[in-house]
Amino acid sequence: MRKVYQVCLPVLLVCLATVAANAQSFRVQCPSTTALHPGNPTDQGAIKCQQISGGDGYATMADGTQTYLFAFGPLSGLNDIAKGLPGTQLNSVFMTPYDPVAAPNSAASNGAVGLVPNPEAAHDPRCSKASPPSYCTTGFDGHVDPRQIMDVGVMNGNMPAPMMAIDEDDEFFLTLTNVGMIMRPDLFEQHTVHFHGYPNASAFYDGVPDASVAINIGGSFTYYYLAPDAGTYFWHCHITPPEHLQMGMVGQLYVRPRQNRLGSGAPLFAGLQAQQGDPRTSCPNSGPGTTGPATDILCSTPLPPSNTASRAATGLYAYNDGDGSTHYDVEYPIQIHGFDPNFHFVGMTFNPEGFADMKDKYFLLNGRSYPDTLNTTGYNDISLGAGNSDFVGQPRSSTAFYTQDADGVQRPSQPLPTVINIPAGGRALLRISDLDVSEYQTLASLGVPMQVIAINARLLRDQAGNNLYYNTNSITLAGGESIDVILDASVPKPDGTAYAKGEVYYLYTPNLDHLSNDAENFGGLMTEVHIN
Amino acid sequence: MSPMNKNKAISMTRLLPIVMVAVTLLLTATAQAAAPGITGPTFNLTAQASYISQPDGAMIYSWGYGCASAFTPTFNPPASKMPGAKCPLMQVPGPTLIVTEGQAVIVNLTNNLPAAAGNTSILFPGFQVTATGGVPGLLTGPIGDAAPGGTVSYSFTAGSPGTRAYYSGTQGDLQVEMGLYGAIIVLPATPPTCANANLVAESAHSETDYRLTANGAAFDHASSCYDREYLFQFSEMDPVIHTQAEQQVAAKASCPASPNTGCMDVVTEPYHPAYFMINGRSMPDDMDTNYAVEYPHQPYNGNPHMHPGELVLLRIIGQGRWQHPFHEHGNHVRILARDGNLILSQTDATKLAGPLLFTTTTTPGVAMDGIFYWTGKGLNWDVYGHNSASTDPLAKLPCTADANGYNTGDPTAPNYYEWCADHGKALEKAPFGDVNAGGPVTLPDANILTNGAWFGGSAYLGPNATTRAVGPTGTTPPSGTIANPPGSEAGFAFMWHSHNEREITTNNIFPGGMMMMMLVDSREFQINESF
Repeated sequence: MRKVYQVCLPVLLVCLATVAANAQSFRVQCPSTTALHPGNPTDQGAIKCQQISGGDGYATMADGTQTYLFAFGPLSGLNDIAKGLPGTQLNSVFMTPYDPVAAPNSAASNGAVGLVPNPEAAHDPRCSKASPPSYCTTGFDGHVDPRQIMDVGVMNGNMPAPMMAIDEDDEFFLTLTNVGMIMRPDLFEQHTVHFHGYPNASAFYDGVPDASVAINIGGSFTYYYLAPDAGTYFWHCHITPPEHLQMGMVGQLYVRPRQNRLGSGAPLFAGLQAQQGDPRTSCPNSGPGTTGPATDILCSTPLPPSNTASRAATGLYAYNDGDGSTHYDVEYPIQIHGFDPNFHFVGMTFNPEGFADMKDKYFLLNGRSYPDTLNTTGYNDISLGAGNSDFVGQPRSSTAFYTQDADGVQRPSQPLPTVINIPAGGRALLRISDLDVSEYQTLASLGVPMQVIAINARLLRDQAGNNLYYNTNSITLAGGESIDVILDASVPKPDGTAYAKGEVYYLYTPNLDHLSNDAENFGGLMTEVHIN
Repeated sequence: MSPMNKNKAISMTRLLPIVMVAVTLLLTATAQAAAPGITGPTFNLTAQASYISQPDGAMIYSWGYGCASAFTPTFNPPASKMPGAKCPLMQVPGPTLIVTEGQAVIVNLTNNLPAAAGNTSILFPGFQVTATGGVPGLLTGPIGDAAPGGTVSYSFTAGSPGTRAYYSGTQGDLQVEMGLYGAIIVLPATPPTCANANLVAESAHSETDYRLTANGAAFDHASSCYDREYLFQFSEMDPVIHTQAEQQVAAKASCPASPNTGCMDVVTEPYHPAYFMINGRSMPDDMDTNYAVEYPHQPYNGNPHMHPGELVLLRIIGQGRWQHPFHEHGNHVRILARDGNLILSQTDATKLAGPLLFTTTTTPGVAMDGIFYWTGKGLNWDVYGHNSASTDPLAKLPCTADANGYNTGDPTAPNYYEWCADHGKALEKAPFGDVNAGGPVTLPDANILTNGAWFGGSAYLGPNATTRAVGPTGTTPPSGTIANPPGSEAGFAFMWHSHNEREITTNNIFPGGMMMMMLVDSREFQINESF
């Protein structure tokens, strides 16, 4: 079979060369206005955009091992991602050309990599006529400089992949740019994005290569979705899933509810009642099955019993609960994963991979094992002095782990520590997802009870409106599942005392063989909960 | 025959032959599923040995339940709807037993396994079973096992509706692994009246109703009405165990008569499965037809099809010994019941209380009933690619919202159950095809993309939507899609699979294992589950 590919590769390159002559194969899409978001003050939600690379890279395991990844990396929102935040940006930020030395928080350090004015603008006859396209004045129409894309995107894989966060009513434009896997030139792998758990998904944008299109090396594809009902979803590549997921092409994605946009003090129940007027989110009146009014059997948030809860002055809500029960002060997306070092080695060294033998030996929270889950030191290139050119367009100050890649360059590899900081008397939302490809994993809480409020991005509430939340001290997930848990430090401990600043608790796995980092016998799936 | 290439790991780049097999099968006949089985209330079953086939070419020595040679079962759906319906002497999974709530069920089991296997039995978890005529069993009571050559009779009342598992209660670590498991479905005795709009459309398109019950409810409850149903049983096999078993039964022709616990020396731990099956078949075999002649001992497929807006009942069972996270692309599943126990609200018994799941995790022995549908609601673009400026009448179909927002006025309309709030909204900014313009995205040059075998050819659904959008062959190159082509089915395909992704392999070959493509077909495409 290899020989077929050896023949195909030059053919493909010729095809790509042909394309390059006709049209640009790398490009980003992020319109300033759409039919749904014409730019009026009354617009609900916004246009949000993100660009990611599909390629490879390296990560550092907690025992110091450098591990090869097939991975996605950030090609927008680099400064936010370096701080452990989602890379999703508003149109105005995304369409600001990326400048790696711009000050932190500058829009220019979060813009789309590669964005340059389209040189065609000067020659486009439409620009000299009435109602010219907007790019005639700005020059920016999504045209990108492939050199910048490759400079920044090659080997910049992250584990987990860049985080995405949107709000209900947002339109989300996600551009996947396939920069190729430099360490595996024999595999001219396509990549895709599967939005795992999206209700009423579009087959075209579902990312399953068998059911749709897959993106070749040298190409960009923009996925488009109106944000679905609020919840903790996640995303991953869907090419050869046992291989690409094991190798690290997994990421986090969540949708925040409309309820967050209610004004402070506004009644939550009335807010959810108002959503029943929108046929898309109505529960009693949007179910298929009959032509008469039918309850939607898949409705995400039925009305709770009438109540007087109001929008809190601070904090956010996980779901459109209508009763305030999903309120939180801080949120932590936590993705569980496992790496089989043998599979990763084989994946780097051109050998055939076995699937039945897969055995994970690194157990990861957000791409790191204990004690790396606690490391918030990060990396500061600025302290190394000016003129360090090794960073090829990467942020120069970051809370991320950096890993030296095969070209000798250090790049951010694991941006997310997993220290849960709960303000004393506050509530933390843990958005837990699992993309392990070989076994189930359990995460337990020592001390602070876990309140499970949602499973698989859906509030635990029966059709009659009763909350079915439950308290537990452990949750068990398979790859492909998510769960929302609240750690509540506002409820006194059983002895009547309050959780106090300075106290430390643990999240760890009672799968005791998962508390290891390969041969190291203490590590793995574990982190700390700090009361601040 | 023995499993081939057992020690030779094969990477994803070697998938081509498998894909071609899949494609060949799909071109032969577009298989569509259902939940076929045999009806009681009396079943004469046998347990015996044979070989089941896997898509890597292996024939695996297995044991299974089947219909005793003198037993002529009644099929549901009947052979008139599902030609070729059969119940062989041995099959994996065992025959799906279909009974009605309240019936007195009798299952007579004859043990025709090799003598070295010793006794066998069936457990029916969830039922109060009385056994007669057998020999002592560990889990089945003093007369609940069938000795080699002997028969045991189980009788019980089908207490409550729903889907449940049945499986061997004798040396389960070996006998269940070898294939002795199946499903029992209890239909409701007092179902609600289902006012189901989709039946009107089904008959308008001369489609056959393949449901096991004409009233269309899974339980005695108004929220359990459905339009189609599919059964998925998850199990796995360690080929080394099967090879050892085959050698042992050949080496040991007889065993002590009593107590006959068998005399096979088979190591069942450590367990190292390499085949991951849905209804006894691995992908792509699971997408071939029910009762296909190629699989004489694996009659049931796993290949769901549906139209937008149809309520689809999923009957999901974990067999074998591992858990498998079954991920349904496309939408959530409302869980109705676990092991036949309807989950209702504590304050209002007319309302459901089961969770909404996008991954229905199977655990050995656990059965779930759930309802799924797909409508495309809320995508913010018209999935039918309607174009009000077109001269093509199919591009200008009206959408009149019913009380729920769907287009259900005309049961013959191709866009029956279109979500009218998104009607006419363009996806593409400046398409060259006959679809609405002014949308949010520009689709890239098709040359930078690779088409999948089940890609309908465009982003759109409908009788000629792909042709209108991109031409009669879909977006090319390299070629028109082959398993779901623009010229015929052109449905929206969604992968349903185990999310323990290593289980979508067949003995180290990707793709394979616990995977299938679910298709949402435009309303005018006739889903024929008899194929």
